This record gives sequence, C-alpha cells and structure tokens, in this order.
Amino acid sequence: MIYRRAGISFTRYQDERRLWKLPTDRWAVIVIFALLLVAPFLVDRLFVVGYLLPLIIWSMAAMGLNLLMGGAGQIHLGYGAVIGIGAYASVHAMRAGLPFELAMIVGGLASAAIGVVFGAAALRVKGLYLAMATLAMQYIVDFVIVQVPAISGGTQAALSVPRTSFLGIAIQGDRAPYYVALALCAVLTLFMLNVRRTSFGRALAAVREKDYAASIIGVDPFRYKLLAFWVSSFIGGMTGAVLAVCYYRTISPDQFHLDLSIQLVAMVIVGGLGSVLGGFLGVGLILFAPIVLNQLIGLAADQFGVAIPTDLRAHLPLMLYGGLIMGFLLLEPLGLAKIYSNIRNYLLVWPFRHARQ
Amino acid sequence: MSLTRRNILTGAAVAALASQLPLRVALAQGGDKVVRIAMPMDFTKVYTFVTAEYNQGQRDYITMMNQRGGMGGYTIAVDISDHANDQPRAIEAYERAKSQGAVLVDPLSTPVARALTPRALEDKLNMVTAFSGRSDAADGTVFPYVFPLSPNYWTQAGLLIEYFKQQDGGSLDGKTICFVHIDTPFGKEPLPVLEALAAKEGFKLQAFPYTPPGNDQSAIWPQVRRARPDWTMFWGAGVGQTVALTEAARNGLDMGRVCSSVWLSESDMDVVGRDQTVGVLKFEPCVSGREPKVIQDILTEVVGAGKGAGPEDKVGTSYYNYGVMLAALMLEGVRRAAEIAPDGPVTGEWLNAGLNSITEFTAEGLIPPTTITPEDHQGGGMGRVARWNGEVFEPMTDWFSANQDVVWDEVRKYSSEFAKTGQ
Amino acid sequence: MDMILLLELALNGVFVGLMYALLSAGIVLIYKTSGIANLAQGALAMMGAYTVVVLANSFGLSMWVAIPLALAVMFAFGVALERVALRRMIGQPVIMVIMLTIGLEIFLRGVIPGFFGAAVKRLDLGISNAPIFVGELLLNRAILIGGGVSLGLILLSILFFNSRFGIIMRAVSDNQTASWSVGIRVERAIAVAWGLSACMATTSGVLWGATQGVDWSLSLLLIKALAIAILGGLDSIVGVLIAGIIVGLAESLATGILDPIVGGGTRDVVASAIILLTLLFRPHGLFGREHIERV
Repeated sequence: MIYRRAGISFTRYQDERRLWKLPTDRWAVIVIFALLLVAPFLVDRLFVVGYLLPLIIWSMAAMGLNLLMGGAGQIHLGYGAVIGIGAYASVHAMRAGLPFELAMIVGGLASAAIGVVFGAAALRVKGLYLAMATLAMQYIVDFVIVQVPAISGGTQAALSVPRTSFLGIAIQGDRAPYYVALALCAVLTLFMLNVRRTSFGRALAAVREKDYAASIIGVDPFRYKLLAFWVSSFIGGMTGAVLAVCYYRTISPDQFHLDLSIQLVAMVIVGGLGSVLGGFLGVGLILFAPIVLNQLIGLAADQFGVAIPTDLRAHLPLMLYGGLIMGFLLLEPLGLAKIYSNIRNYLLVWPFRHARQ
Repeated sequence: MSLTRRNILTGAAVAALASQLPLRVALAQGGDKVVRIAMPMDFTKVYTFVTAEYNQGQRDYITMMNQRGGMGGYTIAVDISDHANDQPRAIEAYERAKSQGAVLVDPLSTPVARALTPRALEDKLNMVTAFSGRSDAADGTVFPYVFPLSPNYWTQAGLLIEYFKQQDGGSLDGKTICFVHIDTPFGKEPLPVLEALAAKEGFKLQAFPYTPPGNDQSAIWPQVRRARPDWTMFWGAGVGQTVALTEAARNGLDMGRVCSSVWLSESDMDVVGRDQTVGVLKFEPCVSGREPKVIQDILTEVVGAGKGAGPEDKVGTSYYNYGVMLAALMLEGVRRAAEIAPDGPVTGEWLNAGLNSITEFTAEGLIPPTTITPEDHQGGGMGRVARWNGEVFEPMTDWFSANQDVVWDEVRKYSSEFAKTGQ
Repeated sequence: MDMILLLELALNGVFVGLMYALLSAGIVLIYKTSGIANLAQGALAMMGAYTVVVLANSFGLSMWVAIPLALAVMFAFGVALERVALRRMIGQPVIMVIMLTIGLEIFLRGVIPGFFGAAVKRLDLGISNAPIFVGELLLNRAILIGGGVSLGLILLSILFFNSRFGIIMRAVSDNQTASWSVGIRVERAIAVAWGLSACMATTSGVLWGATQGVDWSLSLLLIKALAIAILGGLDSIVGVLIAGIIVGLAESLATGILDPIVGGGTRDVVASAIILLTLLFRPHGLFGREHIERV
C-alpha cells in the first residue's frame, strides 16, 4: 500500500535501470538526506556529535569493508589496521603542511599500498587462512605503530590533528565536521550503490561465488581480488583520515586495535553482507546498542529500583554485542538488510498478499 | 525469518512501546545549587582491576559530603557510566556530560583522557586525569583544564630512584636497576626520566618490555634474574602486575628489592598469595587502610548508615582510598570555587578557579599536603614508599618529593611540543 | 649473551609452547572433524577456569574434585554448543562460521565475568613457587608441570586417534557423506569432538589460571594457539606438538635476543609473523593436508 506496487510493472528500460526504481524509495532517500542536512539545527548537539557523526564515519568504514566481504567474498580481520594506516599517514601529511583534501588521498594511498601487500600475501590462501593472515596483519601494523615513535608521536603516543579546512570550510566546532563527513559519506554511498552495476562489481560477484568458476568464464580472480583489496583499503584509508580530523582530533594506537576490526566485521554481518543500506543499519545497531542498553539499565535502576550487581550491569553490553552477532548469524544470516527487505516486500503489495510483486 | 502479519504487528507494537521509553537517564535531583560531575569510566575492559574500588571510594566520599550539606552550599551530583575504554562510547559520554552541564569529567583511562584532552581544552571543561592521561598535563599553563591532581609516572619513578639511593647509602653509582614494563605508551613513559637519572646518578638501567596485557612473562624474568639487579621496578597494571610478582617469586628475586608504581593493591596480593610477596614495595600517593579520619567518618556516616556504594570489605583498600583522595581534591576545588564566587554561575571556568587555588590540602591526613597552582596541576608530586608485610602496606618513609627538576624538564619538553603543534 | 640464559629461555620456551599447544590441540580436534575453526577456544579456556574457581570457592570443593567436575560440565557445554549453534551453520560460508565463533567469544567474555565477577581470582594448584636449580640453571616449577601435563594430554589425544572412536573421527574428517553411508553417526562424532575440545580448553585454562590468575584475559591465549595450529597444519595433532615447541622456542628466544635490539616486546608479533610466513610458504602448515578444490 505504502509503495503502491501491487501488480504494476515497468514499461520502459530506463525505469528498470534506475538506482531507486520506486518513487517511494526515491522520496525516502531525499527526505532522509534532507533530514540529515538540517539535523544540526533541529536536534540537540549531543545527538549530532555523539551519535550521527560516528554513525556516518563508521558507515563509511563498513561500506569499504563490505566491498571486500560482501562484494568479493574475502574476509578481512585487519580492517582496523587499514584505517589506522590511513589515519596516521594523513595526519602526518597534514602536520607536514599538506591540506586536508590532499592528505586524505595520501592516507588512502598509504592504506591501499600496504593493504595490497598484505592482500597479495593473502591471495595464496582463502577462507579461514585468509582470516588468519589478515589477523596477523592487524597485529603487525599495531606493533609497528606503537614501536616507531616517529609514527606514534613520542612517549605520549598521542598525535594531535592540526586545525584544517575542507574546501574552504574550517573544520571546527560541532557542525563543520559533521557536514564534511556527511558530504564524503554521500559520495561514497553513491559509489557503493553503483559499483555493483559496473563490470567491476559483477566480476567481484563472480569471484565471490566461486573463484575457479570465475576464471573459467574469463574473470581473472587474482587481478580482481587484488583490485578489491586495493579499492577497499583505499576507502579504509580515507575513512581513517576523516575519522582523525572530524571525530577523534587526537589519534593514538589503541583506536585502531583488533576490537575495531571485529566491530566492523560484526557491523557488516549484522547489517547484511553486500548491502549498502544494511551497512548503515548494522553500524547503528552495533555502535549504539551498548550505549542505549547502558542508559536503559541506568533508568531501570533509578526509576524502578531494579538492583543489578555492578559486574553484571557492566558486562551486559558485551553480552548484547556477542548475542547480537550470534543471534543474527543463527536466525537471520542475511542481516538487517534482509529483515528490511522482508518488511518492504510485505508492504509493497499490502493488503493484497498474493499479488505479484 | 519469514514474514507474517503477526510478526509485523508484534514488531510494530514493540517498536511503539520502545519509543515511549525515555533514553536519557535523569541526573540525580538536586536544588538550584548543584555541581555536576561526570564519571564515565571503564568498568569492563582494561581498567577493571581498579575502577570498581576507585569509583566506590569517590561515591562514598561525595555521599558523605552531600549529607553534611554539600561544599560551600553546593550539592554534588554524580553521573556514572561505563565507557569500556572504547573511544566512541567515551566521546558520547563526554558530550552528554557537556550537554547536561557537567563542569568536571573523570574518565580514569589513559587512552580516553588523551583522546578527550583537545575537547576539554576547547570546551573549557575540567578533566581530572589522576594516574592516567598525559604526564605533561602537569603543566597547567599549556593544559589549563586538565588536572592530574596526583603524582605522575615520571614523579613516581624519580621518587622511587631517590628511595633506592637512600637505602643504598646515598649513592647508586655502579648499581643495576631493572625496569620491567608493559610495552604500551603507558609502560614506556618513565623511560626518559629513568635514563636521565641513570646518567646523573651513575646506575645502569636495563629495560625489559613485555607484551600487553602481560599474561605471559615467563621469558622476561629469567633475564631479569641473570642481570643480577640491585633493584627492580615493575610497571604495569592489572593482570600484568600479578603475573610479574608471581614470576619474580618463581625466579627467586628478593622481594624487598622489587618495587611497583601506584598500581598494586591488596587484591593483587590475594591473587599471588599474601604470604608469597612479603616485602614488595610500592609507591603510595595517599594513606592506605582504614586509619585515616576520612575513612573512619565514611565508615560511620555512609557505610554504617547503609548508604555505601559497594561491599564494605573494600573500604580502606588502596584503590578505594585513591578514589577518596581524588574525590576529596575535586570537592575541595568546589569549596574553593564557592569561596571565590559564592553565587556562581557554575561553569567550567568557575570550578577551574577553585581547583587552581587548592592550597596545602591534606584531606584530614589522608594525603600529603597538596597545592595546585595555575602552573602546577600535579600538586607538588609528593608521595611515599610502602612495603607489603603480608597483611597491609606499611609506610617506609614520610611524604617526600624528589628529582622534580628532571621531571619538570620532561614535562616542559612535551608540553611545549603540544603547545607548538597541538593547535 | 651468555649460554646459560639462552638455555634457560629455550627450556622455558619449550614448556610454555607445550602449554599453548594444548589449546591448539582443541582447535585442531574440532577442525579435523567438522572443518570449523573455533575462535572461541580462548573463551572456552576462560570459562573452564572460571568453572573450576566457582566450584572450588562457592561449594568449598577441593581442587581435585572441582577440576574433574568442571571437565564434565565443560564437556556437556561443548556438546550443547555444537548442537544448538554450530550445527545450524552447516552449509554457510566460512565468514559466517568464523564470525559465529567470534560472537560466541565476545558473548562468553560478557556472560562469565558478568555473573561470576570480573576481578582476578586466585586458582591455587598447590605448586610451590620455589625455583629448582640444576647447577646454574633455574627451572620454573609451574611451567615445568604445566608443560608436562600438556605434553601428556597431547600424546594421549594422538593415541586416542588410533582407538576405535578415533578411527571413526578420522573417517568423519575424511568424508562425512561416506561415513554416513557406512553407518557412522557423524553428528555424534562431531559432538564428542566439541566436548573433548572444551575439556582440553579447560585444562589449559586451569594451567594458565594458576600462573596469571583467572579473569577475562585468559581468552587472549587464542592468538598463540592459532599461530601454533596454523604452523602445525590445522588438521594434524602431531603438527600441533611440534609447532608448539617451535613457536614457544621462537617467542622465548625472540624475547631474549630481539627485544633489546628493537626496544619493545616482540613476543606477540613473533606469533603473527609465524602465521604470515606459514601462510606464504606452506599454507597448509608443516603437517597439514593439502586441500583440493573442485568447481
């Protein structure tokens, strides 16, 4: 009903080829984007700085990882290290006097270069072994960042990000970082939505489904896996730069540990492998579920006098986090994106359940 | 998961119900004159060994002072949350505190404190970084809104070296000192000061890093033993400390010549075995045990009245007393601020003036006389050395301070670098 | 660098490596029968050690009653885990299965300290801390005993693979469908593998818990165990034994020789480098079987 789609088909190819085929979807996208644009003027600054900004930045990271995991079927347990390389490379570039726009590219290139080296090493193996190789990459990159004072910034191991600007807008205060991140995220989202419709995206899908079969039909798995690592690491590196400049403002090695890598993989899986929308949903759930749960427990304790032992209360977010990952894998392996599409498919033809979609 | 009408309806109903729940936790209610303090801390991840006891001490002390009528007419409202050493969560907690009008934040985590430093400076929100955060934050001219309020790790190292020197008859020339530390920025921090002191005093410094979190140090301690150290310092936290002590005992080191930073407590001794570690030394920033008057008062007024924030047997442990120490310093800052400007308004600047004018404060004998000035946010860097006797930590020295010249050289070196590039 | 120190480090390394290898043996056992890499093995070790501590403290049992009881509990837990969670993942891509075990790891790290207390707990096996001297050489009693017990258990599991049930398990690992057709109860074999693996994790949790105390950080044993399992080849118990010794030696000697040069703790990075080098030069480990893939 909402979508008014029951039994209606397209009559022109260009309608079929559109990015968002239904008018309702197009409107939804426009409304959501407009809401995001005016959000800093509508809602409390806490909501913008504490929730929307991290949501946007983590979504960029999740999209980059999703290209590799959902697009090309390659598991990566060291994506946090990739983001870290980008963050450190870009911050050092900025401290050397480069503008942010260029430093971001430098960060992306540094991540891509190192990511591809590890990717190439990992290409001999796949599946479980690839997971182990990327895990090893995470530890090695962590080690190098901590051990080289020139990278980490001396004994205090905290590298301040210089004041900078993006296309003439000074990145400071509450709003400017948000808009910069939002703009970059919008560009990346469009790229990710379209990449599946290119030959590159289709080649990745072939490699994902069965790399031997792909090579039989003329898609070189080696080349496309390497390309997937390159593009995905580049996105990770750019995200690292955005993360450092717009959100953290001081970077230290512990921001890019294994926890971040696992968090991102969890976001991609909970959101739905290969789905752009799912990336956003997964990030929202994994990032904010612990915070909201914490506050709900606090509320329960304050208002209703529910006494929960401190140890239990403190560990509930961790249980929820692990439980969410397991629950989704067992009950809905395709993630939130699938749940959304189920609801959408239901509503598409509601109330005529048996109509053709 | 197949989709039926029932699923949709239940889902919608749950969502509707959930949206009715207010997601913000209301802060503790108070009158008009309220000073809000936010304590987002790590209860679950890395700092689990200290947070619960530290926070319990803080809350008990604040409860007691609120019962006595607050500080200078102001009630203290505390907002506690868990950031699990996770920076997005910590930043969310910080921004929430800022939005709710908190004037002081105590994150009790080195990575979080380091990440929040630029925000705190920009927002003029006071941040307490006791035994954590940047050591160079002692320089109040560069970090006006960051308050370590406690001897930093450089001071602790300098003070311990001075103690070794006193014990060895006034000279460390030709001695060997081993420094076993966790291989993180926190563990490596004392190295420059120790190197400077090694050059000055003529002792030989050998550093042994172990990989975090330090649950396997079996290859480290044989090397320490074979280096035949005159003194050994071990620098870590949590599980690394207990493993270090266990391995030191297994390698037959003389416990009386093994020494730790502030991070050693009674519960660590329980894990290693109380009688296995007799003689081990530690740096003490405040009195431990239940003797001090403040702790006695808490026992009668708060714990005795059934308002204690945690188990009674934790009262008087080392970390509990650190919590009381920091709460006392924060509240002394509030009292001073109320003296300077009795009618507020309660802002970061208002409290900042109070914290900067703490003079010769001893919390009724709990801590060494502490003076905070706009230049020195460390508070003089006094402490003492205590020895584990199998039951409690007994003091070996009076309050003293040593090698502050070397420490401040280091502080100024890093703070000036921050001032130069940080902006 | 004096020779005695090197010898001491080497001996230490061998025994510590054996202690790690016990955990890897559990990973191998599961991989061998069901083709799943269990990244929750470290969390299982933590859970096992917690079970022992809780049984001993809350019910006042002696260690020698608490440990067998905990082994039984953990065996049941392993079997249940396979039945409830892992069996439903059959046929899913490997990413999903790896992530499920990571999710389990996180979940256990929340549940166990949440209900039984996050503070470090003492687990006293009654091993004296007093060092044993052989001439100049100092031997660490706890590590000696831990390594010995691990060695015994790993040898036992090698023997086990030659028993009747072991042969059933080997058949299952060779070809599940063929095993089915000759009347082997594949599900039961896999379930038993999970149970045994949980028991091995418990033993290794207890051995490590006696050294470092029991808290969540026991789950960090995983990365070393993985390095050993990969170096040895994920489906070879003998490989685990030898890889354990190699990794232990490499780490211990790296700590002695590399650390002073690098000025940092190289221990963990050695494990990672071993994983990476193994995957580069011998992806299937020293003793693992090559996997042949067909379209």
